[in-house]
Order: sequence, then C-alpha cells, then structure tokens
Amino acid sequence: MNLDTMFAQSGFTPNPQQERAIKHLSNPLFLIAGPGSGKTRVLLWRTVNLLVFQKIDPKRIFLSTFTEKAAKQLRDGLETILGQVTNQTGRRFNLSKMYIGTVHSLCQRMLGDRRFVPDRSRQQIPSLLDELDQYFLLHHYRFWEEFLSEIGMEREQFLEEQKDFFKNGSRSRHQATVSMISLFNRWSEENLPVEELRKFSSCDAFLDKLVTIYQLYLQKLRGGKHRQADFSLLQQEALQMLMNNDRVIHEFEHIIIDEYQDTNAIQEKIFFRLAEGHKNICVVGDDDQALYRFRGATVENFVQFPQRCQEYLQVKPTEIKLSVNYRSRKKIVDFYTAFMEQEDWGREDGKGFYRLADKGIRANSIDTRASVIASTNTDNESIAEEIALLVKKLLDEKKVADPNQIAFLFSSLKARPVVLMKRALEKMGLNVYAPRATRFFELEEPIAVMGLFLSIFGKPQDNGYAGDYQRFQEWMELCLKRAEELMKEDQHLARYISKKRMEVEQTAKDYQLLTGKVEEEGWDLQGPYDPDIHKQILKDTEGISKEAKKGLGSYVLDRIAKRKLEENEPFTLHYIVNRVSSLDWSVLDCFYRLCRFKYFQQMFELAENGTDEGPIWNLSQMTKYLARYMEQNQVVISGRLLVENRFVQSFFMGFVYSLYRLGETELENGDNPFPKGRIPFLTIHQSKGLEFPVVILGSLNSKRRTQRVEEIVRPMLNRNSEPLEKVPDFDMMRMYYVALSRAENLLVIANARGRGISTFKPFKEMLDKKTLRIPDFDLATLPAVIMKQDVLPRIYSYTSDFLLYQKCPRQYMVFRKYGFVPSRSQTMFFGTLVHKTIEDLHNRLISLKREVKL
Amino acid sequence: MDQKEVRQFIIDAFEENYELMRMEGGHAITGEAKQKALEQVLLYWEKLHELAERVTDTEILLTLPEQRTPAGRKYTIQGVVDIVEENGETVMYDVKTHDCDTVAGNPELYEVQLNIYAYIWQTLRRQSLDGAGIIATGQTEALKEAFRSNQEEKIIQAVEEWDPVITIPLDPDRVEATICRFGEVVDRIEDCKFHPPDWTKLKEPVTARKTLPFATHVCRNCDVRFSCRSYRTYAQNQTGKSGLKMEKFLDDYGNDEEQQEWMDGNLESDLDGLE
Repeated sequence: MNLDTMFAQSGFTPNPQQERAIKHLSNPLFLIAGPGSGKTRVLLWRTVNLLVFQKIDPKRIFLSTFTEKAAKQLRDGLETILGQVTNQTGRRFNLSKMYIGTVHSLCQRMLGDRRFVPDRSRQQIPSLLDELDQYFLLHHYRFWEEFLSEIGMEREQFLEEQKDFFKNGSRSRHQATVSMISLFNRWSEENLPVEELRKFSSCDAFLDKLVTIYQLYLQKLRGGKHRQADFSLLQQEALQMLMNNDRVIHEFEHIIIDEYQDTNAIQEKIFFRLAEGHKNICVVGDDDQALYRFRGATVENFVQFPQRCQEYLQVKPTEIKLSVNYRSRKKIVDFYTAFMEQEDWGREDGKGFYRLADKGIRANSIDTRASVIASTNTDNESIAEEIALLVKKLLDEKKVADPNQIAFLFSSLKARPVVLMKRALEKMGLNVYAPRATRFFELEEPIAVMGLFLSIFGKPQDNGYAGDYQRFQEWMELCLKRAEELMKEDQHLARYISKKRMEVEQTAKDYQLLTGKVEEEGWDLQGPYDPDIHKQILKDTEGISKEAKKGLGSYVLDRIAKRKLEENEPFTLHYIVNRVSSLDWSVLDCFYRLCRFKYFQQMFELAENGTDEGPIWNLSQMTKYLARYMEQNQVVISGRLLVENRFVQSFFMGFVYSLYRLGETELENGDNPFPKGRIPFLTIHQSKGLEFPVVILGSLNSKRRTQRVEEIVRPMLNRNSEPLEKVPDFDMMRMYYVALSRAENLLVIANARGRGISTFKPFKEMLDKKTLRIPDFDLATLPAVIMKQDVLPRIYSYTSDFLLYQKCPRQYMVFRKYGFVPSRSQTMFFGTLVHKTIEDLHNRLISLKREVKL
Repeated sequence: MDQKEVRQFIIDAFEENYELMRMEGGHAITGEAKQKALEQVLLYWEKLHELAERVTDTEILLTLPEQRTPAGRKYTIQGVVDIVEENGETVMYDVKTHDCDTVAGNPELYEVQLNIYAYIWQTLRRQSLDGAGIIATGQTEALKEAFRSNQEEKIIQAVEEWDPVITIPLDPDRVEATICRFGEVVDRIEDCKFHPPDWTKLKEPVTARKTLPFATHVCRNCDVRFSCRSYRTYAQNQTGKSGLKMEKFLDDYGNDEEQQEWMDGNLESDLDGLE
C-alpha cells in the first residue's frame, strides 16, 4: 500500500500543488491556501502520510485548528482513513494521544501533561474562565470596590475617565468592563508582563491605574484555591511552562497550524518554541481571509512567516500555493480576485507589500455564465423586496434544496438593511435564522420563557435609571406582556404559572414563619438541629404550608440530620429552616415543565419532524444559560433567597441583565451548521470557513472602526506592523473578500444607493453599468445544487449514536443533537467523563505493569 | 500504587477530564451529576480492581469504514473496547455506564454490538478472540438503595451481590442484519426524524431483575418527558379514565429520597457568607 493507491481508494485526485504539500514533510512549510482550494483535504492526507508512511507516533503530532468543530472534522476524517489502514494491515493507531484541537484546548492539555513538566510530575491544570465567566468576574461590584480602593478613585470619576480613555462613549460599569476586558486580553496575548507595562504607563496616569487593575485581576485568578485562567492567560501559562523546560522542544516532531493568519503573538511564540527541536512546522492559511484583528490576531504572523522562520529556526520555509478554487463558478472567482486588486497593498518604502502578492488564484470551473449579479441601484426597501422575490424563485424552481443553502451575509447584523431584508422575506412566508441579528433575549422564545419566569417570581423594582437600565426594564415589561398573552391562550399554562407563583409566595412565608418560631422559642438560629427536640415544634408552626410540614417530617431528612449529629457536624437550625422552606424545583426544572405547554411543545414537534430547527436551538441555548446561572449562583431557590429578594435580584438584575447587555449568544452549532427550513443571516465573521450554493451580500457599507485597543497597545510592541491608518481599509477588504468567496453557484450583491448610504469604495469601482442586475438575470442559466458528498464521511458511534437513537429518537435529538443541558437526567457528557477516567486508570495500570516488568 | 494513591489518581484524572471536556464541548452537567460520575468510577475500581489490573489494551478504537446507508450516504461505524489478554486467551470488554440490569434486560442489543466489534477484530484485523463481555458500571436500583441507607453492612452486601460483568455469546451470523439496520438509523438521523417511540412501548419492561417499564426506566429519567406526546399519553392511560392530573404530572421531581439527595447536594450551606 502507498499513498497513491490510497488516494485511488478514496476517489481523490490531488492536483500537483496539493500533492506536493501532502508529500512535503520536513522543515518548515508555508502553505498559502486560497478559498475553496481543498485545504482541509491536504491537511488530512498530509497527516495520514505522517502517521502511516512516515510512522510518526500520533502523540508526536501537534495539529491546531481554529474551532473545535474543525478539529472534530479532521479527527473523524483521520479515523476513517486510518480505520481502513488498520483493517488492511493490522497496524493500529491511537489518535487519542495526538494533539489535535484549538490552541486553547491544546494549551490546557499541555499544562496537564507530564511530558512537559521537568520532573514529569502530575500537574493541576487551571480551570478555564470562559468569556462570560470573565465578564461576570470583572463586572462584579466586589471587584470594583476592590480596585477602586486600590487605585484611590471614586467610581464616578473612574467611569468618566475611562470613557475618555477608551473612547467608548459610555459611563456605564458594563461598558467600562467590556473595554477593560478587551485591553487586558490583548496585554495577555502580547505576553506583556506588568513590569513591562509600567514602563509605558509611567507617563499616563490613567493607563497606570488600568495596569494596577490588570495586576489585581491576575492576582485574583492565580491566588484562589483553584488556579483559574481566561482564554488569553491560558496561553501565557502554557508558554511559560514551555520556556522553563528545554526538553519540550523535542516533544513534537510535527507542528501543523491551520488558519495561521488568525493567530496572535503569543501563539506564534508557542508554536515556534515547540518546533525548535525538529523544525517541522507547517502553517496553512490565507492572509486575504484574516478576520480577527479585534481579538488580537496579527496577520503579520502569516505574511512574514518566512522571515520569522529565519529568526526563530534559522531556516527558510518551502512555499507552496494552493491556488485552484474548486468551490465557485468561474465568474465568482474572477470577481473576488479583481476585488482584491482594488486596494494598494504596497509598503510606503516601495519594498514589497503588506499582502502576499501573486497568488495566482484561478477557478477550476469553466462555467463562464453569469454568476455574480447585483440588485438594482435603488433604496434599501426596494432592494429587500427585489431580493426576497429572487429568493422565493430560487426555492420555487428548486435551484436550492433547502432554504438553509441561501446565506445572507452582513458585516454587522445590527444594521437597517438586515431588518428590511428579514421583513421582506417573512412577508413572502420565508423563515429566517439569525442567531446574532438580534440580542438573544430579544428572540421570541427567550422572551416567552423570561416572561413566564417574571410572572412566577415577580418583576424587580424599577429604580428609574436611564439608558440600558431603562431599556431592560422595558424589555421585562414586554416579556410580561407576552406571558400574559400566552396564558390567555392557554388556560392550563395560566393555572400552572399561578400555582408556581403561590408556591414562591408560600415558600417565602414559610421561611419567615419558621425563623419567627425559632426566635419565639428562644433557640439560637445558628445552634444545632436535633429532630428529637425541634422537629415537632417546628412542624406545629401555625400557617406553614403542607410542603414545609412534609419537609420537616421527612424520615430521610431525619436520618441525615441524626447522622450529622453523630458525626459532630450537625445541621444548624437555620439550615433546616431554609431547607424545608425551599422550592423543590430549580429554574431549569421549571423550564422543562414549561415545555409541556402548547406554545413550547410545538417547537419540539417542529424539530421532531425536521421541519424547523430554529426554535429548538434557542430553547437549547436557554438551558445553557439557566445552567450557567445555577452554577455561578445556586441551584436551590430557598425561602431565604426569596424573602431577602436575593433571587430576583441575582437572577434578573444580575444575570439576565448582563446577558441582555452583552447581547451575545455563544452559539457554535454542532454538526448541522444551520437549521433546516430557515434562511441563515450571518455576520461575515460567522461565515468563515463555510460555503453556500447562494450567497447574498446584504450591504456594502464602509463603516470604519477605529481600533482603540490597537492604538493603546501599538507603542508597547516592537514589531513591523501594518500602519494604523491603513488598517481599517485593509481589514474591510479582507472581510468582504471572505464574504464574496463563500458563494458556490450564485453571488448576489445588494447595491443600495441613496441618502445616508455609504458604499465601500472598491465596490463603487466594480459595480457599474455593465454589471448584470437581478431583473435581467435568467434563472434558467443557474445550475441546481448537486448534493455534494462530504469530503469526510461522518462517523457514527455504535453506542452514543445507534443505541441511543434506538432507545429514544427524541431523547437523542434533544440531548445529543441539540445539546440541551439536562436538569436531572444523565447524558452523554456523563458517560464520556466516566469512560475517559476509566481509560486513564487502565492506562496507568498498564504502564505500571510495564515498569514492573522492566 | 496503594489503594489511597489509586483513589487519588482517579479523582485527579476525573477532574482533569471534566475541565478538558467542558472546554472542548461546552459545559453540560450539574455538579450533582458530576459527583455521581466520580462515584461510579470509584465503585468500579472497588469492585473490579482485579479485572482492571488485567486489562492489556484500553479504549481500542474499532472502525468499520466505507459503509453506505440505504439512501446512499457514506459513513463509518465506530466503537471502543478494552482487551484482556491472559494465558493465550483474548477477551473483549465494553465498558458501559448504565447498570447491569438494563443490559441484561436487552441482551440482544449488546450481543449484536459486540458481535460487530468481534467481526472487525477477527475478520478485518485477523486477530484471535475467545470471548466478549459487558462491564456495566452504572448503579443498579439495589445499589442505590443501599447507598441511600448509608448503612455499611447493607452497602457491603449490595456491592458483594452486584455483578457488573455480563458475558456475551459470539455469533457472527447477526452482523449483516445489524449493519443494515445501522444504516437505516443513520438515514433517519440525517433526515431529522426524531419521533419518540409509540406510547405502548413505554409500558414494556426494559430491565431484567426488577421489571421496570420503559416509562420508568428511561422516561422518568428524562427531562423532556413533559413535552413528549408518548409519555403524556402513557401517563394519562396509567391513571384510568379521569386522566392524570396535570399538576401531579408536572410536579414529579422523583421520590422523597431522590429529592432529599438533590437538596443535600445543591442547597446553599454557607448561609451567612452569601452575597
């Protein structure tokens, strides 16, 4: 068996560049991969080549991808191909030891891996603070009190100064927190230690204060009983570990980094450090598709890779260009290639370019019929109608198989054309899926759920502040109104909600009555609880509910309480009072019960039929938020929390309000990227790495974003970077390039004109009288979508897919496919966790046995 | 490693896996479920340490690539097993996190599974195999009861009586039909067909020892049962003509013991330190 016979078996015929890349294995490889050029396949086969023919041990390969989803695809692909090899040759491959994943997860893995620790001892890995956790920590009023006293500033004064400093136009704690987070993360990603930052902040008093806050934040994460790290610091920790141990440079024989144009400064240091020993580093990317500067990515990592290789490794990389596009029809490729030429990428000194020039991008397709069309040159309203009509025709004439094959892309989903376009489509009876178009909490499903929760627990008082606060109060009113409507439509629901409301009221009352009783009896609330002494008297408290009586009377509770007494760790009376006056359900329990009512139930049914997946994704997201609240705060809603109004405050005014303001969803869908039956509305960033038969570029605006953090950080860096004044245009070029290159069969450009509409200059040049307009487009020339066989066949597990589905398809759908967080049932996550740990145990035992033998 | 060290090893490995999985796939279980998962591994070690120490190869990935569904989709079947090789004999084990009563209640499901694995192992990889079995680490009702009682002798006895290893007979004839059925399931998943089983199936027993019906064993442990048509029809039919009162139906949070356990694990204990 050799590579060529394997290609043949898999029906893959690589082009010469692809083949060269797959077979080039030693020394640095600089792989410049244009859109749709078969990059994933090349990565896959190159890795197969390493594992099968070069006999590289999987644990000696480090392969980093941009998302977990991409990592999973590659892993699945490898397992399929390697499975064939095993079946034919008997050779086995243990991929679980291979380092494949996002940089963050690989960093976390290295931190816990004995291989990287000088004395090979087991390390405690830091627990991860994700973006929301980080926000909640930095936004917490206690943190604010702490740092304000540390920097000796009043809150109002701080808010005022930060507004000027960050130019964020807001004096709110929320906005200040968001701005600080982006600066702090950038500092961490540039690996700038506090002492270094002080050198720059000495001449700027406010910057100096920010450095102090950053320092305090670092202490907080590192000083707790369990070390924590946010995404950026996780990388810093990993780098530090790697720098402290010289053996690490030989641990990986091959370092492969995908989407290299979107890596940051600290990641580059990590990769080169790991590659120091064997020098086999392969980077894959496309500078034209760099999108993540706002998250600290530096496209220079890619553009200047040859120089960096010289600096770090003293070798020159081999450069291979993957330039044949297999995705798009010819005119589409021609269009976006010409688009990129509209900008002057030359350096001021005339020596070279800020972009990798001469990519030689060309289409594989020889279909030269029209595939790029623009709307009529008119106002946004008319354009929306014109495009909606076109979409309807595409569907009616079966040019696409499902609405989810038509993607609308926008630079931002908060713009007016988005609303107009959505409205126009809905008027035609077409459903839209726009996970980031509105804030999550402005979607129909969360409004209904929150409205019902507000009806149960009561709305927090309005203290009359302006701004976001007022908008949030109005939003809660809106939710309540919606809940009223739903209850009017469904008597059962109304009855259920009123029953829950009564339980909440009664629970608070129980708590008050019982603490009153304790006081009346002259007992100490902090004293030990002994069922023999206290139980009956408490049970006889007048006016308490039968639930509280039942709680006090529980034999199980008696047994636990007695045991606690014997163990000399008795429950306090306060604990018992609180326990028996607690709701026996959590917010998540309540959510699952609300799903029983018609309004929600029909959403489940739509998903069960495969008709519409939009609502079920939103419900799934809801369970994630509720579970997060419970994890951060508490699960049980006790009488005490209700009496002191703490629950309502922490849930609505703390948690939900923050999410509402952040306006974020953490959505990264699993296998099926976009719900069936709906037309996706995406930001261009969300469309990264995806392709669609039809793409509609919804607006061509040229809003320049000044990158304040970039401005602050630039002086602190000693780097050959793109000039600040060029950055906005460069970034916009790359963003639109990504958008244009997503289309396979048809690219439609909304070309609005009129008052207040700004058009990005290169589009003005390219869209003119010669451009084919929608009304003149002959739909008959458009080929229908051929269902493409996935490059990588899907892997189905006997147990977690087949058996689970056999048991109950609906349960499979909810927990496995849509990832609902269960409240009380056990799921996949549970099983995998047990399995992985048993595997670790077995491995440990096996290696111990080997040691004994030796 | 002495017992204490193994225990500590399990706890550390467990925590690390939890953190890594949370990062890779997002967080997905409550603190209480996490505790249960750890207990399961610890109990596995306590009961089956002799078997665990004999394992020669763990988590071996078995794949059956190049399969096609009836609708023409290409896919790969995957499974994972542990291997014990001793005195020239090879036995294949599959570790399952459900309890042995459930496994014994549906032997054919697992027989077919291990037979497919055996097929990959023997026919495709040409390696010898002398036996196969399931290790069911989940707690049976009897075990759960014993732990709840918190009485040492009861627990010891229950652990003693617990038999989590189930031997599976090897019979290669059934492989083909199952692979065919597998393909149909893949098509149904890809076509988004997710209807629950008919409500009458919910009445059928699924476990071996205690004859728990599907509705109790599977549905009562499923948070989305309330919005499930089949479960509701089942519940209504259980209580005779008057139908189950909705309130009672929705206020099912398990029995008193489960409820107290839930409180125990989740109620704030630090009443004065909370903000």
